[in-house]
Amino acid sequence: MPVDGSLGLILPEIVLAAAGMVVLAAGLTWRQSRLPGVLAILGIAASAAVLVNRVWGQTAEIWSGTVMVDGYANLFKAIFLAVAAMTVLVSLDYVHRNRLPAGEFYLLLLLATVGMMFMTGSLNLLTIYLGLECLSLASYSLSGMLRKSPRSTEAALKYILIGAVSSGIVLFGMSLLFGVAGSTHLRDIAQALAHNGSLAPVLVAGMMFLIAGLGVKMAAVPFHMWAPDVYHGSPAPVAAFLITASEAAAFGAALRIFLVGLPALADEWRTVFIVLAVISMTVGNITAILQTNMRRMLAYSAVAQAGYIMVGLAVASDRAVSAMLYYLMGYAFMTIGAFAVVILLGRQHPSEEISDFKGLGQRAPFFALALTIFLLSLIGIPPTAGFFGKFYLIQAAVGADLTWLAVVMMINSIISIPYYWGVVRTMYLREADDKAPLPAPAGLRWAAVIGVLGTLALGLFPDTFVQIVSAVQVVPAWISMAF
Amino acid sequence: MLLTALVFIPLVGALLLAFFPKERVNAIRGFALVVSLIPAVLVALIWQQMDFSQPGMQLITQAQWIPSLGIQYKLGVDGISFPLLAVSALVLPLSVLASYTITHRVKEFFLWMLVLQTAIYGVFTALDYFLFFIFFEASLVPMYFIIGIWGGPRKEYASLKFFIYTLLGSAIMLVGILALYLGSGLRTFDVMVLAEQANLSPTLQWWIFLAFFAGFAVKVPIFPFHTWLPDAHVEAPTGGSMILAGILLKTGTYGFFRFMLPTFPDAAQAFSPVLALLGVIGIIYGALAAMAQKDLKKMVAYSSISHMGYVILGAAAMTPMSLNGAMFVNISHGLISPLLFFVVASVIYDRTHTRMMDQMSGLFTKIPVAASVTAFAAFANLGLPGMAGFPGEFFTFVGSFPVFTTLVVLAAALGLVTTAGYHLWMMQRVLMGQPSGDALPDISARELVVAAPLMVCIVLLGILPGIALRLFNEPIAVLAARLGGM
Repeated sequence: MPVDGSLGLILPEIVLAAAGMVVLAAGLTWRQSRLPGVLAILGIAASAAVLVNRVWGQTAEIWSGTVMVDGYANLFKAIFLAVAAMTVLVSLDYVHRNRLPAGEFYLLLLLATVGMMFMTGSLNLLTIYLGLECLSLASYSLSGMLRKSPRSTEAALKYILIGAVSSGIVLFGMSLLFGVAGSTHLRDIAQALAHNGSLAPVLVAGMMFLIAGLGVKMAAVPFHMWAPDVYHGSPAPVAAFLITASEAAAFGAALRIFLVGLPALADEWRTVFIVLAVISMTVGNITAILQTNMRRMLAYSAVAQAGYIMVGLAVASDRAVSAMLYYLMGYAFMTIGAFAVVILLGRQHPSEEISDFKGLGQRAPFFALALTIFLLSLIGIPPTAGFFGKFYLIQAAVGADLTWLAVVMMINSIISIPYYWGVVRTMYLREADDKAPLPAPAGLRWAAVIGVLGTLALGLFPDTFVQIVSAVQVVPAWISMAF
Repeated sequence: MLLTALVFIPLVGALLLAFFPKERVNAIRGFALVVSLIPAVLVALIWQQMDFSQPGMQLITQAQWIPSLGIQYKLGVDGISFPLLAVSALVLPLSVLASYTITHRVKEFFLWMLVLQTAIYGVFTALDYFLFFIFFEASLVPMYFIIGIWGGPRKEYASLKFFIYTLLGSAIMLVGILALYLGSGLRTFDVMVLAEQANLSPTLQWWIFLAFFAGFAVKVPIFPFHTWLPDAHVEAPTGGSMILAGILLKTGTYGFFRFMLPTFPDAAQAFSPVLALLGVIGIIYGALAAMAQKDLKKMVAYSSISHMGYVILGAAAMTPMSLNGAMFVNISHGLISPLLFFVVASVIYDRTHTRMMDQMSGLFTKIPVAASVTAFAAFANLGLPGMAGFPGEFFTFVGSFPVFTTLVVLAAALGLVTTAGYHLWMMQRVLMGQPSGDALPDISARELVVAAPLMVCIVLLGILPGIALRLFNEPIAVLAARLGGM
């Protein structure tokens, strides 16, 4: 065990994992209590406090280059912790009401978060893979937690099958890169490729395997087949978590892998990402129009949103990276907020059909208004986070002479209007059969409030957040100097 | 400060209204009315402080908002926007008062009405494209709910059509705004700076002009983008129709005067024959369609399309006189159409429970005062000299005649005659003839309070058009000079 203080740099992860153990113990002792959820929130808060006080602003690579701490990693850690906290908020009532094993549930949630923190907190392919596996294994179990629901079991099974294959593909891709470069560290891979000159087909194959494997986690077309079933079948808070955090982690890792490790192949992977972006947003949006179930609609909307975010990966300039990070932040707020409303409604209408939202404007005025704001943001109407997210991405695409891609994005935003707005229409224009107000648990209320504040704050004061995201570097300065 | 207060006081009122208990209907109505009267007071103060001999922007409020993108919080008012603010400050409280008959989901209704007011005052004062676009979009959502929740039998269809048309139009306009921002290279969304300094290539100017045209043409509406209007108007509740016809249509024409003509003068000139043709088609088509209607409210809706045609014709001719005329029609129609919608959709409909002209007759005998108000509004709308409808149309024709002689003759010959025709025919069928059915109560005190201020203003502007002309004469002269002053 090193005593040079390097352990302190991963203290947030350690605190989180330790909190998971405490939560598990509490869950085993007090089965039907809300205590584990509260402890989970406290654990996340403690981890965030450590992150801000001890790690923020530090840059170091420790343990033979297996763990990397820098502004980029810390920003993602902050995003993941925020998402985890909001997920716990929307889970408090849900876990209790559906009699899920609270200890296990929150433990897995926290471990998944730890996994994501390692995925974005390393320049070493092996660590990234371990983080990915930690996230994946936790999410497979989470999505099957509704043991009596066939849909949940189906979701878990589908997820584990496709997930395991995709992990294998990622690992295979990594092994090919290792075969050429002789190292799993992205810096060494980049240097080996830069000096190598000729690009062996085996490299391109490795790159393609990595894209495919990570594409599954991003739910990009054509690797999205699992997403609607998993987001629909798994417990709603888990769906909210996967749709935001897991996707963000995949993008976070992808940015590092491709920008740091494979700049020599930039032309190749940029082309692939352009293609994936265009088909993801188009297929996602058009399929979403056809959905009658709210969660399936949000699942396809997530596919489309992943397509928008991928535009940033395809452009891969500094500005595009900032735009992606900004978008991921906003996307987390609006999506988890939207899921808070879905979960509220699911208490009375477990089927979560879009038609169940009728009359919500009268039954739960605040939640209806909040969902309206989230949906407007998902469309990209100013002044919300969604508008500036798209604006920055469009600006980056135009700046990289990809104006046509920006136009495709705008057309897609217009295509998305009917299905997002259809929910608003149902909420306000259709009268409910049962007009009784929907009682709202405090956790959901808080999650929705945080979602609204985040969505509007990002939209009204984008400069503040752009300054934060543009201060971080995907490619650490000491690596770019080495060339 | 004054402008900020004007824009945001209704929004603050809406937030406060959210805390009212649902059942306190009278308190909700009263509060909404009081809040919407505050802007009227503020507009009066603005009137006092403004110097109308200056063509430029006045009372500018400016603050950095998103510096990295050059987005500012910038409000200002000049002779072009002030008259529209004044009309809004008059019509909006009256439409709140006219909506006292709403009994379903009362709190929500007045909440949306107040939100809508913020959006409207914002549209007419914003001097930053980004800020303007937010208000422009924000006016859409409340109106969508007002039509969709409190509208007539086909409300869902009408509200969706309204929403899709206007949203699609403004989405294309947003692309235009972004193209203007990125294409000018000035890194600012400031309306005045872009109008004066944007050096756009002719092709780009042309494309951006078309993108803006898509957004504003739907709002005006210009033929053939008008088909949402009859549906929306017929289904909307009275208060909604009054705002829609009186003010929201003007946000479209305002877009021509504030953004399109000053910022893209070359493209506007190249496009002006098409614009004039569309305007004249609107005048004639609207009048003919109005004549064909059996539904009284639908007739009024088509007459709006016809009148907005004058504004477009006047704007296309680009002479000082035609531009003045177009501005004047903007104002007069902003006063007359709310009055007409109010008497037709509220006063008459609430008594006869029908809007079909063949099902009512002899209203002069049955409800003499209400029928007289209807006749007054109809005469004002057909452009009787001495009322506000006349001077604007007159200036527009005289001003446009040297530029588009054939079109103007056509519009005058067909449009004016048809317009007079359908109004007179309507009065003959509805107001005169043998009274049938049960006796009806005449106009109520509340209804008279809604109608009277509009009637007074209509007569005043008809006799003394200089009151309004004085307001926008200077900025229009500058605009005409910029357009080449043909």
